[in-house]
Amino acid sequence: MSEVSGDLPLDAPAGRGSAVYDDLKSRFFPTPLSGLATLAGLALAGWILWHALQWALFDAVFTGPPEACREAAGACWAVIHARWRLMFFGLYPHEEHWRSALACLLFLGVIGASCMPRLWQAGRLAVLWIAGFAGFLLLMRGGVLGLSYVPQEKWGGLTLSIFIFVATVLIGMPLAVALALLRRASLPLVARLAGLLIDGIRSLPLITILFALAVVLPILAPGALGSKLTRVILGMALFFAAYQAEIIRSGIQSLPAGQEEAAKALGLHYWRRMAKVILPQAFRRALPPTISQLAIIFMEVAMVMIVGIFDFLASGNAAYGSGEWNFANVEVYVFIALVYFVFVFSLSRYGAYLERRMRVGK
Amino acid sequence: MTAQPAIRIDRLDKFYGHYQALSQVSLSVAKGEKVVICGPSGSGKSTLIRCINRLEEHDAGTIDVLGTPLDDRTAQIDGIRREVGMVFQNFNLFPHMTILENCAMAPMLVRRQPRREAEAAAMHFLEKVRIPEQALKYPGELSGGQQQRVAIARALCMRPTIMLFDEPTSALDPEMVSEVLDVMVALAKEGMTMVCVTHEMGFARQVADRVIFMDRGTIVETAPPGAFFGNPRHERTRAFLSQVLAH
Repeated sequence: MSEVSGDLPLDAPAGRGSAVYDDLKSRFFPTPLSGLATLAGLALAGWILWHALQWALFDAVFTGPPEACREAAGACWAVIHARWRLMFFGLYPHEEHWRSALACLLFLGVIGASCMPRLWQAGRLAVLWIAGFAGFLLLMRGGVLGLSYVPQEKWGGLTLSIFIFVATVLIGMPLAVALALLRRASLPLVARLAGLLIDGIRSLPLITILFALAVVLPILAPGALGSKLTRVILGMALFFAAYQAEIIRSGIQSLPAGQEEAAKALGLHYWRRMAKVILPQAFRRALPPTISQLAIIFMEVAMVMIVGIFDFLASGNAAYGSGEWNFANVEVYVFIALVYFVFVFSLSRYGAYLERRMRVGK
Repeated sequence: MTAQPAIRIDRLDKFYGHYQALSQVSLSVAKGEKVVICGPSGSGKSTLIRCINRLEEHDAGTIDVLGTPLDDRTAQIDGIRREVGMVFQNFNLFPHMTILENCAMAPMLVRRQPRREAEAAAMHFLEKVRIPEQALKYPGELSGGQQQRVAIARALCMRPTIMLFDEPTSALDPEMVSEVLDVMVALAKEGMTMVCVTHEMGFARQVADRVIFMDRGTIVETAPPGAFFGNPRHERTRAFLSQVLAH
């Protein structure tokens, strides 16, 4: 034992301050075989990166007609250049695209503002959301203030996807809170019914719900529940609410019983106990799965394509599907994936930021 | 003696399923009186005190608090809870609020005090429990003893007429017990009506008007502290006291 421990002081000065080198060596090149594996891995990664860059950048064509891409070995980004308006705005009238762009930016602004803890007061959020929706509808629908009327059927592209996402969450989140609380109600009948509703919706695929609301409902009850877009948003909201309700309920269940007892003992009635003590803590605890659920629903918006709503993905299909750009489907999907990635990755980073921020208040 | 009692409990029964937690418990607490309830674990002392502000519902018998009967009417229950402060074994501060917010929230919402007034009152009571410098921290940043003192201040901010203490020092490290008891003694001296479930026999000796010993859901013995500690009448009381006071 004494010999082994005696090695250490001899070893230390021999390092000559190159701790990083030693660390790297012991991690990646501990034996000749491991070293070889490391080199092979590096070579493979480099090869993939090189080819990806070659395809996406060096050999790519960024502008020009479809013919310009035919000779090129790399990606044909010219399709995005030529068709980005279709992907972002769908079939919205060309000369009115600025309205759709403005509406899209408006909603991105509303999302951004909603993420700021400073605005987290019922009154401020209500003003923000009502103003946001009013502004969006005014811009998109028109028919007033000299803006020409554009029917809902013409809305599309990224703007529409973001609209559906925001509307789904804004309708679905309060619904989720209500369902979570109802499922915990002290009246057994109420709790059972809420449970039945949640479990019922969770047993149905989203496609079924969308199909029923968009296609079947107008046959059974023409004119019920508004336009197709409205019905689809209601379906998405219901679907989101069922899952989110269980996430919120799990957050509530994880709180110690003493929290509600303390609030009761102070004379707070049910709604205040929920609003001030239980739900704020439940949301904190349920933050990671809530962020996941938001990411999932953001991407599930693409499902509306099935019932003929011209969302971002459907617009992407149309962007390359018109004959002359037929060969450029990969580029279009890569671009769509990138846009989705930017949104969902930002959402995840925002979730991580919130967790850090809330740990302070724990 | 003609004055209405603060709390009147009459032949109270409480069941958990088939298990009877309280049987035929009767107790009257006068305004300004300090009552200490002790007894072995499972004796029903916590259940009894939790029935007084209806954190537990009793199954038979009656409870009147400040002349108002406790029944299913929520408005009455909330009214009584406003007048009855409670301090818990595990403090139960709200971890997502600062100390000041913990104290000022209920008076603002329930008593409709303006924020400035509620916060001034909160600071007053935080000074009283000697912890005003922690006002802007969160509960998680405080020691157990400090948290329990905040919990007392939070209850006092509602200006209750009665204070209930449910084993307020049982979850504390030994060196923090006295800082909490000191606050409770000061409160007792001001004339607060207090019902305390506690095993702190020194505290009972010092402030209690009456000590109540409970066992198996019934009140076994009620006596002033002198007689209770000096000359307990019941065998079970003697056995309990010999265990509690042994070390």
